[in-house]
Amino acid sequence: MSGEEEENAAELKIGDEFLKAKCLMNCEVALILDHKYEQLQQMSDDAANQVSQVFEKSLQYVKRFSRYKNPDSVRQVREVLSRYQLAEFELCVLGNLCPETPDEAIAMVPSMKTKGRIDDDEQIEKMLQDLSLIKKFE
Amino acid sequence: MVFLEAEMSSNVLLSPEHLTPQGLLLRKSIITRLFEDIANKKASKEHGYFIAITSLNSIGEGRVRTLTGDVLFPVNFMCLTQKPTKGEVLTGIVDKILKHGLFLKSGPIDNIFISEKLTGEYKYVPGENPVFLSEKQGKLAKGVSVRFKVVGFRWMEAERHFQLLGSLAGDFLGPI
Repeated sequence: MSGEEEENAAELKIGDEFLKAKCLMNCEVALILDHKYEQLQQMSDDAANQVSQVFEKSLQYVKRFSRYKNPDSVRQVREVLSRYQLAEFELCVLGNLCPETPDEAIAMVPSMKTKGRIDDDEQIEKMLQDLSLIKKFE
Repeated sequence: MVFLEAEMSSNVLLSPEHLTPQGLLLRKSIITRLFEDIANKKASKEHGYFIAITSLNSIGEGRVRTLTGDVLFPVNFMCLTQKPTKGEVLTGIVDKILKHGLFLKSGPIDNIFISEKLTGEYKYVPGENPVFLSEKQGKLAKGVSVRFKVVGFRWMEAERHFQLLGSLAGDFLGPI
């Protein structure tokens, strides 16, 4: 049993679809799915029966595992992470897992370093500090 | 997990009773049928799980199927999807604990297995409520959130879902 032979997220060897499509973090998806659910509730009394199991499970999941809840913070998180030379996929993993130290960040997204884009730990440290500031003021 | 907003195309088949002279009802029927089709399809090997349709790009001209009288409408839309990737770090919730490993669920993915060979420091502890325990790092019990790495996965055509294999052997993996 294996995924595609060449695929390995740790080295950013991921499918074309990840590189071409827009990638979204848990907190962004939570806002989208919440909004969709509200729209459905307005259109019919029976919103719960109109959404698929996949939708329900995903909504529960992203609500549980979103670090940032309010739309402004979510926007800021994307803005902060976009300042660094990260692939969308890497950006989302960092925004989701919210590592606390550069070591943890590198363990979660090893490709950050291997592609030589973020060479020193100080940059990572700064990035993580900026992210935790957003959380503080949420 | 990383979600993708992907552009997709699908053919929506409407039977004649949905075709009315009022354009507005037609569009609604097409959209409703599209939502139903995607919900029933659940997932595909190529795109992963279909979470939600986010926007409609275009509805093409309908083509009548001469034998049945049904009309086929090509629809182009944006859909929120999720597909596992090998080597990715995911968060899941422990669902079942057995001697040979543990089963987790993560968002739309119901079927994740971590073999006891890949649980690193965590060892099986039998009992009425079995757990996986590590002296230094804590306990894995039903309902606990766990960070794990995706070691491999495969698409199960019959059940229309993915089956994942995970590992806890690595830094910063385990209960959170």
